[in-house]
Amino acid sequence: MLPLNLAVIPWGILCGSLAIQRDFTVLEALLMPLIVFAGSAQLVATELIANNAPLATILFTTFIISSRHFLYGLAFRDKISKLPTKWRLSLGFLLTDELFALSGDNKAFKGVYRLFYALAAGGSFYLCWLLWNIIGIFAGAYLPDLTTLGLDFAIAVTFIALVIPSVTNFPMLITVLVAGISAVVFKLWQWQLDLVAASLLGMYAGYISYNIQAKFSLAQTAKEK
Amino acid sequence: MTLLTIFLLALITFTTRYLFLHPKIPVRLGPKMIRFLSFSAPAVLTAIWVPIIFVQQGQFIQSWTNPYLVAATVGVITAAKSKSVYLTLFISMAVFIVMRVGL
Repeated sequence: MLPLNLAVIPWGILCGSLAIQRDFTVLEALLMPLIVFAGSAQLVATELIANNAPLATILFTTFIISSRHFLYGLAFRDKISKLPTKWRLSLGFLLTDELFALSGDNKAFKGVYRLFYALAAGGSFYLCWLLWNIIGIFAGAYLPDLTTLGLDFAIAVTFIALVIPSVTNFPMLITVLVAGISAVVFKLWQWQLDLVAASLLGMYAGYISYNIQAKFSLAQTAKEK
Repeated sequence: MTLLTIFLLALITFTTRYLFLHPKIPVRLGPKMIRFLSFSAPAVLTAIWVPIIFVQQGQFIQSWTNPYLVAATVGVITAAKSKSVYLTLFISMAVFIVMRVGL
C-alpha cells in the first residue's frame, strides 16, 4: 500500500493548493478531502465551483466521474454486503481506486485478518490523502504550477505495476487491450463517460473471450475422447 | 453556498461507492455476472492509466520518444518480467525523471 500512498502525493498537493488558489476558505478546502475524498472528482469539482458553474452541472459531472465506483461496489458485493453495518459503511467510504486495485485477490475481504488489512490499507489512503491535501492547502501558494510537471505519470506507473502482472491468460490480455484502446479513443472524443464505457467494453471483451476459450477447450477434450 | 455544494458532492461520492454494498438493494449476482465482474479490476485500472500515457493536452502523443511513452514501455516490460511492484516503480520512474530533467 506504500507505493500507492506515495503515488498520490502530487495529486493530493495539487488538489489542496488548487482549492486555495481558487479562493476556497481553509475549511472548505479541508472538507473536500475529508468528506468528498476523491481525486479526479475533487479536482474537477473545484474548477467548476470556482467558475461558478450551475449546481446541477457540478453535481452531474461529479456523479459521472464517480460512477466507476458502482463497478467496485458490484465486484465486492458478495463479500461485503453480508458484513455488519459498521464494516459496510467504513469499507464503502474507503472504497477508492487504490483499495480496489489492492483487492483483486480472491481472498480479499474474507476473514477477520483480510478485513482489517483492507481497513488499514483504505484508512492509510484516507489519512495520506488528507495529509497531502493539507500540505497543498498550506504550501500551495509557494509551489510552482504542479499541473505542468508531468506528475500524473506516478499514477500511471503504479497502475502499470499492479495490472501487468495480473495479465496471465488470454481473456485478461483481451480485457486490457480493449479497455486501453477504447479509453484512448473515448478520451480523444472528450466523452465524459469515457472511463466507465471503456471499462465496460474491456470487461465484456474479457468475458466473451473467456466463454470462447472455455467452449474451445471443451470441444478439444471431447475430440480427444 | 460552497459548503452546501461540498456536502452534496460528498453524498454523491459516498453513494456511488456504497450503493451496491448495501444488502437491501435488490441485486443478485449470478455466476455470469460474477465472471463478468472478475474482469473489472484490470479493465478499470487500464482505462485509467493508458490515456495518461497516450493523450496529452487532448491530443494523441506526437513523438515516439515522449518520456511518458518510453518510461511506460519500460514499466510494462519490467512489470511483465519481474512481477515486482517496487522494481517497476523504481526503474520506470527513474527513466521518466532522467528523460524529463536530464535530456
